[in-house]
Amino acid sequence: MAGIYVHIPFCKSKCSYCDFASFPDKLCFAESYMACVYREMAFRKEELKNYSFDTLYIGGGTPSIIDENYIAMLVSAARKNFNLAKDAEITIEMNPGTVSAKKIETYKKCGINRFSIGLQTAIDSQLKDLGRIHTLNEFVYCTKLLKGENFSVDVMIGLKNQTAEDVEKTIEVAAAFGASHISMYALTPEDGTPIYTDYLNGELPDSDEVAKVYEIGVKKLESLGFDRYEVSNFCKKGKESKHNLNYWQRGEYIGFGVAASSHINNVRFTNTFDLDEYFKCVLSNHLPVINSEEVGAVEREEEYIMLALRTAKGLNLKKYFELFNKNFEEEYAVALKKNAEYMQINGDYIKIKNEYLFVQNSIIVEFFK
Amino acid sequence: MSKPNQFIRNFCIIAHIDHGKSTLADRIMELTGQVSKRDMEEQLLDSMDIERERGITIKLTPVRMFYTASDGNEYVFNLIDTPGHVDFTYEVSRSLAACEGAILIVDASQGIEAQTLANVYLALENDLEILPVINKIDLPSARPDEAKKEVEDVIGLDASYAPLVSAKEGTNIAEVLEDIVKYFPAPSGDTEAPLKALIFDSYYDNYKGVILFVRVKDGSIKVGDKIKTFQSEKVYDVVEVGVFAPGLFPKDGLFAGEVGYIAASIKSIQEVAVGDTVTNAETPALEPLPGYKKVQSVVFCGIYPLDGSKFNDLKEAILKLQLNDASLIFEPDTSVALGFGFRCGFLGLLHMEIIQERIEREFGLDIITTAPSVSYKVVKTDGEVIFVDNPSHLPPQSEIEHMEEPIVKADIYSPPDYLGQIMDLCREKRGVFKQMTYLDANRVQLEYNLPLNEIIFDFFDQIKSRTRGYASFDYELLGYEKSKLVKLDILLNGDVCDALSMIVHEDSAYSRGRMLCENLKEAIPRQLFEIPVQAAIGGKIIARETVKAVRKDVLAKCYGGDITRKKKLLEKQKEGKKRMRSIGNVEVPSEVFMQILKTNKD
Repeated sequence: MAGIYVHIPFCKSKCSYCDFASFPDKLCFAESYMACVYREMAFRKEELKNYSFDTLYIGGGTPSIIDENYIAMLVSAARKNFNLAKDAEITIEMNPGTVSAKKIETYKKCGINRFSIGLQTAIDSQLKDLGRIHTLNEFVYCTKLLKGENFSVDVMIGLKNQTAEDVEKTIEVAAAFGASHISMYALTPEDGTPIYTDYLNGELPDSDEVAKVYEIGVKKLESLGFDRYEVSNFCKKGKESKHNLNYWQRGEYIGFGVAASSHINNVRFTNTFDLDEYFKCVLSNHLPVINSEEVGAVEREEEYIMLALRTAKGLNLKKYFELFNKNFEEEYAVALKKNAEYMQINGDYIKIKNEYLFVQNSIIVEFFK
Repeated sequence: MSKPNQFIRNFCIIAHIDHGKSTLADRIMELTGQVSKRDMEEQLLDSMDIERERGITIKLTPVRMFYTASDGNEYVFNLIDTPGHVDFTYEVSRSLAACEGAILIVDASQGIEAQTLANVYLALENDLEILPVINKIDLPSARPDEAKKEVEDVIGLDASYAPLVSAKEGTNIAEVLEDIVKYFPAPSGDTEAPLKALIFDSYYDNYKGVILFVRVKDGSIKVGDKIKTFQSEKVYDVVEVGVFAPGLFPKDGLFAGEVGYIAASIKSIQEVAVGDTVTNAETPALEPLPGYKKVQSVVFCGIYPLDGSKFNDLKEAILKLQLNDASLIFEPDTSVALGFGFRCGFLGLLHMEIIQERIEREFGLDIITTAPSVSYKVVKTDGEVIFVDNPSHLPPQSEIEHMEEPIVKADIYSPPDYLGQIMDLCREKRGVFKQMTYLDANRVQLEYNLPLNEIIFDFFDQIKSRTRGYASFDYELLGYEKSKLVKLDILLNGDVCDALSMIVHEDSAYSRGRMLCENLKEAIPRQLFEIPVQAAIGGKIIARETVKAVRKDVLAKCYGGDITRKKKLLEKQKEGKKRMRSIGNVEVPSEVFMQILKTNKD
């Protein structure tokens, strides 16, 4: 299994919590940018000719803000350059404020079969606080256009003035309008973003409150038929994001575009975060990679554990043995004994118990050398 | 041949911390051409990193200089720099015994401080001639005339001839040099008499063995002589003698009146006691010179390696430090909570801090230190008397007839405005008021008897903060007094943590217990389960706090681009965990053991 990620770094405006590579005022460069992305794909064609890819994920930024025809061309460029499976999962991220019937028609036609909608919250005042460009109504409109499609909705917790009821309502709305997948993740105030000042001023709910809301959210999701398959990801049966599951299995993926990351053949590398630099590199026939690090043997193992224990299923003991030629339970006897109370073994899997998934860091680090 | 004694001047400098002692020493060295200004590192005599950073002198350092006085003669100056802090008084008394004169530096704006006074009295006891020097006259707040008057009023010295200098700017230093020649007596002593040399310091050199710092009182010593000391009788062959230039500067011999060093292949600093007298093994002197009081440890604490497997490295480090610091004492100790380590004795709190810092810095070891304790006298029901400095070694209550604690005489000097605050503090600390003396309109001396265990925690910080840094304080040990003391235990998750036990006065046990629990609650990070933190006396719980279980500790998102960065975050968390000690199943940050007492909130 391997995935392709394409980063579209354009937005109408920057959300207050956003620390991704996105450029609200550079939309005019979209055409040149997409041309560079197709070109960057061609650079990698030879190197990746023996890979078969099962997923394509178009993320951002706001991929839905650019002309839909570029997206269609992107999908076909991916197919042209790489062995992308016929039934591949092809996802696009969308902002409800940027959609139209025509756009979605084009997406569907070019083979996109999964949509990820950034709702965040169903409370308009909170959307405004976050600097989101859409309202709840626009989300509803968007879901109507997507009727019958496989789509996911992002929900944020830990927002200013957000109550547990607000979160429940957001989940209910997402479910009622047909989401098959919901990502519920806690706001992480990053230094340098506008929301960080809210955090510094104590305006955001503290970690205990967020934990409480998370628990209530999980209950709500489960009652609506969404099972947790990763700490922040919930879905109807069989609707897991294959692209993301690949990350948590330490799978390989290739990223294109500004700030995109890749993991190929035990090397992790990242493209430049600078749009101008990206153009210059690609136009002069260079890869826009700014750092590249071979993952050592110890790190591979730590990464594998750290990622696998995020999932609800946990770490597959057989797969671990295949990958590292060691018995997990022997190798980590001390850490397992110390954390016996917080973990459980189900057949071939060892997992962090559900009730401790939200405090997993301190358990995971016990498995670091 | 050596110069006749009449051209030698041996002297030291006495000053309060920060009053410019090392700076003046530097200027004197500069002016005598000992070092060129260009080559001079700031504060040449303080050679340890810690000394320079903290601006204090810990070890005394002698240096020899030549000075051509206005009378046309060339004089040899032996300057012995001395530490200024109360903890190191013993070092001062040692250097005083090697001198005939002492320069007393008085800060022109701050006047005489407690520590200065204590050292002046020491110098007077040693029959030293004292030359007052008023320093820092360059400061706008300088009031040299008042400083002079204070010297006359408080110490009773004639200060009319005291040079007014600025060591920092090099003003009037020449006058000081002339006064040294004029006022300090030349050393007496008979070069033909049997050798008597006072050891005033020593250190261990990797190549030469122990280097003895000596003041030759009578006779002479040269390479090849056989020497012994009065206390050990062991005979050594002198390999090298010399003077301090600064740094070791070999010479053919040392003669009565001179200050210098001896290397005689002595293997360990413990073989030759500082304060002992060196004499010639073949023609020995009959009587030793008067020595000094033996140094006594007053503050004790446990030192443990953070990583239990580093015990031997820690042992090595402490042994090496002891080579140059005979006042550091230690013995192996074990703690249920902290494993194998050492119980160490120090001259005071600063000495303790410096040793801890040197272990971490010079040997790259991470250590855990327990809260400081004093040595208690325990009279058992069977009549046996023992001294206990480690709370976990205290016998069961039923075997104790009574306990006694060390009491000090504390002299606090302060402007009158802060008397109330100081008296409040002393009362809180179980102090007994003795007397109050107005030194002048702006300075009062308060004398209290205080239990030592009350001042080893935060007394110094409190005095400084309550008087905005204006008050200074000094103490000396008086003896032991009967006291109602109890052992206060701390329970983490239901188990006693021996490393946190302490001996406290019965009356303050409840408040101390409550404070400890509160501080621990803040200091112990939340873990996956709820942790009760309790204080108990003899099994009875007197205070309780709870460290709530952590409820959120997760990286919300972890997708393709996040993996490397998020893994680094977890690695950092892991590093933090490595700085913790597991007490039962509770993880406790290593600083806690030392710091819970310091964060005393008002």
